[in-house]
Amino acid sequence: MRKPLPVFRRAIADSWRSIIGWTIGVVGVLFMYLPLFPSLGGAEMEQMIASLPEEMVKTLGYEQIGTGAGYTQGTFFGLIGFLLLTIAATSWGSAAIAGAEESGRLELNLAHGVSRVQYALESALAVLVRLLWLGAVATLIVLALNEPSELGLEPAHIVAATAALIGLTMLSAAFALAVGALTGRRSIATAAGAGVAVLGYVFNAIANQSEDAEALRAVSPYSWAYQNTPLIDGADWGGLGLLWGLAVVLVVISALALRRRDITG
Amino acid sequence: MPPAIRTAELSKRYGSHTALHGLDLTIEPGTVFGLIGPNGAGKTTTLRLLLDIIRPTTGSARVLGEDPRTGGPALRRRIGFVPGELRLEGRVKGRALLNHFADISGPVAPGAIDGLAERLGLDLTRQVRHLSKGNKQKLGLVQAFMHTPELLVLDEPTSGLDPLVQREFMAMVREARDNGQTVLLSSHVLSEIQQTADVVAVLSQGRIVAEGAVASLRLASIRRVRAGLADTSEDAVRTALAKLTHLRDVEVSTNGDVVRVAATVNGDIDAVVKEIARHRVVDLAVEEPDLEESVLSLYGSATNGEEADRA
Repeated sequence: MRKPLPVFRRAIADSWRSIIGWTIGVVGVLFMYLPLFPSLGGAEMEQMIASLPEEMVKTLGYEQIGTGAGYTQGTFFGLIGFLLLTIAATSWGSAAIAGAEESGRLELNLAHGVSRVQYALESALAVLVRLLWLGAVATLIVLALNEPSELGLEPAHIVAATAALIGLTMLSAAFALAVGALTGRRSIATAAGAGVAVLGYVFNAIANQSEDAEALRAVSPYSWAYQNTPLIDGADWGGLGLLWGLAVVLVVISALALRRRDITG
Repeated sequence: MPPAIRTAELSKRYGSHTALHGLDLTIEPGTVFGLIGPNGAGKTTTLRLLLDIIRPTTGSARVLGEDPRTGGPALRRRIGFVPGELRLEGRVKGRALLNHFADISGPVAPGAIDGLAERLGLDLTRQVRHLSKGNKQKLGLVQAFMHTPELLVLDEPTSGLDPLVQREFMAMVREARDNGQTVLLSSHVLSEIQQTADVVAVLSQGRIVAEGAVASLRLASIRRVRAGLADTSEDAVRTALAKLTHLRDVEVSTNGDVVRVAATVNGDIDAVVKEIARHRVVDLAVEEPDLEESVLSLYGSATNGEEADRA
């Protein structure tokens, strides 16, 4: 009897070192930033923010940095966590097909009893599971630090913010996977995954500056994730639907693209 | 019994470059079929088409009675494949990698992996990135043979292997044939094909230029001979060799007391050796020409003619 999900299991087994590394990174960042909140809070913090240029505060999304939710969003979910997970997601997404193809691994794998569609879907699942793991770790750490760091966050809202963060970074992974499946080139796939994240962030920052640019939020995955402040107001189902829906579409495109073309490399 | 492989007018174009021109190939089950040709002749393209790694521009192929395009995983489980450019990297250990492939393409008989690894002298406890080229190639052979597939498709299977392991590999190929398996192997080394294959096709510039039983091909008859002869003169040697009409590219020179002879023999080697043996032989080398040279010299004119006809 053949065991199920062989491509998925191998992807996970091959990457446990990197998973541990990213886990340490996420845990470290949370422990570095969140416990600082009580000492930064209050008037002192307001003063410091007031001394910064207004455009900069808006770009970084620090308007509400004086609240626990604003601080957690401004440091982790909106900035460092977003950055870390985007890098992880993009590198996993571009490695899964394009990286395997360039290294010659894909040719040998696909010569065995595995279909192209199966390969693409299991690869996407492996990226998703790794991101969900990082999301779960982040949720647990934020929950654990919530009281000692006086953040005053609703547990359900933490889960909502994590769902947005993982959806947002999974979208970068799915872009990298799809472009890798279409082109077979790792560098292009990486550029696509990272590019979507950067453009989304920039569009959101511009929209923060001016009401005239509000329309940019419609095309910014970063805005879909965070414009309705899940950490304060709970899950934004519309935004989550856009993020996860588009990620699913891109994974399907990956599978179809890989099925159609010649494997080179 | 239907052929193990049959291709009809199989072509592959990459942009304006045609890698394969209308290949018609039939391989009977239970035989060892050798595909030889110089690098760039289209061997790897052909084998990749059979595995559905790349898709034909025109034409069709049947592998074990099925179209590779639609046969899917079920068909590929019946095939063992060694890619032409086997690259293995990562921290994964040999055994874990083989278990992974066994999960996908198995079942693999208990002990089969260890048996093959032992035969080839492969250490399965090492990370694949640390393996030498030869050891990676051994791993490639094990993953192709371990599930005793009906068809083995081996692209340059002996590259990087030392002669002892090459011999073991050839024994494995013969055993596979005796076991009823079909083997298609490619090589740019003629002797390797001669020692293993029942039937050979010579591929040059994307076309089959000769096909038949190994012995029937004139490829075996081209040899490059070099000898150093003592106690004689250049003129005497020239006169003696002039009688042999199947010599080409004859070069005779004197180096000190030794007359050096180099020539290409196209046909019977016996007369040449006997002629040389009349003198005191200081050294003697009989070499197989490289495949490119022999294919071109034997079939080059035919290929060019065809090219001209099509143009």
